[in-house]
Amino acid sequence: MLLHKEILIAGHLKKAVFKNTAVYIITAFIGIILLYAAFSGWENYSNQNQTSEKYQQESREDWLNNPDKNPHRMAHYGNFAFRKSTLLSVFEFGMEPFFGNAIFLEAHKQNSANFSEAGFSNSMLRFGEISIAMVLQLLLPLLIFFLGFNAVAAERENGTLKLILSQGISWKQLLRGKILGVASAILLIFVPTILVLVLLWLLLQDFTISTDETIKMILFVLFHFIYLMFFCVIAVLVSAASKTSKKALISLIGIWLVLTIILPRTTQAIGAYLYEAPSKIQFNSDIEKDILKQGDSHNPNDIHYKAIKDSLLRAYKVDSVQKLPFNYSGFIMTEGEKISSRIYNEHLENLLKVYDQQNSFSKAVSFLNPYIAIRNLSMGLSNTDYSSYIDFQKQAEIYRYTMAQKMNALQVKYISNKKPGPNDKPLSISKEHWADLEEFHYEPKEIPAILKSEILSIVSIFLWIIALFILLRIAAKNLKAI
Amino acid sequence: MLVLLFKNFIRSKGAKIGLVFLLLIGFIGILIGQQFQQKQQNNIAEAALYQKEHIARNAAFHKDEMGLLLYYIKFSLINKTLPLNPLAIGQRDVNPSIQSVTIRGLEGQKYDAELNNPNNLLSGNIDFSFVLIYLFPLLIIAFSYNLVSEEKESGTWKIVSTQSENTFVYILKLFYIRILSLIVLFTFLLLLAVLILAIPPDFSLLTFYGISVLYILFWFAVSFFIVSLQKNSNFNAVILLTIWLFLIIILPAVINTYIVNKYTIPEALELTVKQRNAYHEKWDMDKKITMDKFYQHYPQFKRYPLPHTEFNWLWYYAMQQAGDDDSVKQSQELQTKLEQRNKVSQLIALFVPTLHAQLQLNEIAKSDLGNQLLFLKETQRFHEKMRLYFYPKIFENAPVVEENWSKFKVETFTDSSQTNCLKAFLPLLLFSLLLIGLGWGNFKNNRKEAF
Repeated sequence: MLLHKEILIAGHLKKAVFKNTAVYIITAFIGIILLYAAFSGWENYSNQNQTSEKYQQESREDWLNNPDKNPHRMAHYGNFAFRKSTLLSVFEFGMEPFFGNAIFLEAHKQNSANFSEAGFSNSMLRFGEISIAMVLQLLLPLLIFFLGFNAVAAERENGTLKLILSQGISWKQLLRGKILGVASAILLIFVPTILVLVLLWLLLQDFTISTDETIKMILFVLFHFIYLMFFCVIAVLVSAASKTSKKALISLIGIWLVLTIILPRTTQAIGAYLYEAPSKIQFNSDIEKDILKQGDSHNPNDIHYKAIKDSLLRAYKVDSVQKLPFNYSGFIMTEGEKISSRIYNEHLENLLKVYDQQNSFSKAVSFLNPYIAIRNLSMGLSNTDYSSYIDFQKQAEIYRYTMAQKMNALQVKYISNKKPGPNDKPLSISKEHWADLEEFHYEPKEIPAILKSEILSIVSIFLWIIALFILLRIAAKNLKAI
Repeated sequence: MLVLLFKNFIRSKGAKIGLVFLLLIGFIGILIGQQFQQKQQNNIAEAALYQKEHIARNAAFHKDEMGLLLYYIKFSLINKTLPLNPLAIGQRDVNPSIQSVTIRGLEGQKYDAELNNPNNLLSGNIDFSFVLIYLFPLLIIAFSYNLVSEEKESGTWKIVSTQSENTFVYILKLFYIRILSLIVLFTFLLLLAVLILAIPPDFSLLTFYGISVLYILFWFAVSFFIVSLQKNSNFNAVILLTIWLFLIIILPAVINTYIVNKYTIPEALELTVKQRNAYHEKWDMDKKITMDKFYQHYPQFKRYPLPHTEFNWLWYYAMQQAGDDDSVKQSQELQTKLEQRNKVSQLIALFVPTLHAQLQLNEIAKSDLGNQLLFLKETQRFHEKMRLYFYPKIFENAPVVEENWSKFKVETFTDSSQTNCLKAFLPLLLFSLLLIGLGWGNFKNNRKEAF
């Protein structure tokens, strides 16, 4: 039979593992954490989506219920973009607690996304959060190390290693068997977790699954499985290379600490240290300065707007803006919005470039650190990563711009050019026009876009697979029994 | 003998690597703090400069209408950054340390977030407090997990127990050396930070030091207790790391999730929606309703009757005020919830030493949620002060040029809340004493069999 000896070795290891009562305790403990994570993830998700949906609807109704008025007032009345979470964010919170949940969208002004969970929390959040992804990415690897550290080292200590090798079992078979053993032990936790996960996932969408969500879920499970297998291989390799099981344990714990706690923070810190991002006040004042340079629609003597005025008067052969066939101030505001949005977007692009540079270090380190690779990938799949956040902001900004320009167009078209006297009723248009603006809908990124932005993580995971296979080969050739 | 034990300890490769590693990361933590401090200082300097230019420019543009001018200009309030702050950055990277507000409705401006790279926030700062809270315990564990077990496993324990009169004192000496080394290392790092960051040697610094030392002692007490169980090295290492994992990652995360889900804040979103409507709907209402409300809030402004024009600034600012006044309930609820969150997390932290140490350090450095809440309250006071100053000027349309605009400098808020030393020190001390007591008992009971 194929792999017969390996299966024997694996079975033996599994038996040994489950003789240890501590393993049961730890497994039960992880089980409880998993349940808690699933429960709180669900609660979090439904809370956030219910509130977002409720207020998104409410704000839409408010918008439509506005009475007749000048469209420019509607542009200032504004709209809200509330962020909704995707299904997989039940399992992977990612950066969600640090994103703002709501952006107020109004004319002339780009607001920040406010009300992030982090802003309202004590520093506790920095210790991390309990989510299923956290258990899979952080705790299970540690458990694997605890299970696997003496896989080979203990045999060496007890002197049984020589016996096994002299009985015609090759190093290759031994390593494979041991890896299989650790893996099968860990699968006893992984498989039920995934089953619960899938069930929860089905329940949350009432068993109506979309292809996009399904692919995301499959990839989520698949990559986490591969990720856990890495740690099985690493555990057995280190155990095989160590003289004593104590040394193996210390090395493995050291590896775990560096990969999951120390490297992610340090690399991000290096990036942030080297590329300093502007503060909000600096960012805003830079934009204001640029807008002043380009032309300030609020300044009556501004050269840019004076030129527009003059050319309009010439083209329509009139001597004052009141005699133009359309609403002049609406026209000017259209131009102002165009200029200010362009300038804002340019500055934003520059800011995002700085953020990208800051992130580039930790991204590059995913080649050395499978933890970062899987974390980025899993955040990407659950739309809780950095690029999803930026994506939400950009969609909201596009919506804001459309809204402002739509209102300006209504003003240009329907509002009379004659200024009302100080005691006249203000000019207004019918409220029916408010429905011209469609409701804001955030469309989370779909699989092709996610795979594209996470290509680095995927490549690094494949490189890790190859590297571990090569390492196994080298180890099988060079390991000594003593 | 102590000198010998020390030499033996410091000669081991692991000890040297560990100490150097901690020293290095500690130094990096200080550098990161320094960069944070410089950034804060730059921001404040920029804010002051920006405000000056901004007011001057707008005052020149809109010199005829006080009401229009005040529509535009922003006044900044700064949350003072203590010199200790770079050591425990806490929430100061999430929440802005500068609030810039116009005298229009406050609720729409109060919660404006700082610009941030969420990736940086997610991984968190490697500041000085991180090194203390996360990494010192690891080194403590690495230094002490095998204190007795190693000698037993290598067979040298018998020699030790026959040669020294009291093995318990011998164990204490082993601990003493390690405690001393780490406290010396910590003190050295803190002194370095004091020099680099120009931290004044005041009471806050002393409390900071006190908590840190007690925190280090707490972890030694944990190790002491585990060593007293006299199991083998592998067991000790696994169990100590599990405790570390539990106290530093799992428990705080569970508590955080609990608090977030228990005290959800839909009020935040409700507040903004409500505030927007409360202000905007007034445009389409009878002006009298708005004005009555305004006069009710500020009886002193009854002397300004509503002019008979379609638009005027008195009515405009009364509408803005209405946005705040009508959403006051949501605003207060939000504040109460946040205070509850703060209180509950502090209460729970009393029983989780790691969390307690982190929250206390942040509290001393004025970078915790409590400080943020006080800052928000102060923003409200500041905003009210500016409103009350400018309202009469707007309603009278006082000439813009007669105002001395250069006197409106950025203001600074100093959080003067005191740290309760008893509350700060006691939990750490009690936990340590308890563990030491239990450990001591274990050694005593086991003496007959083990030694």
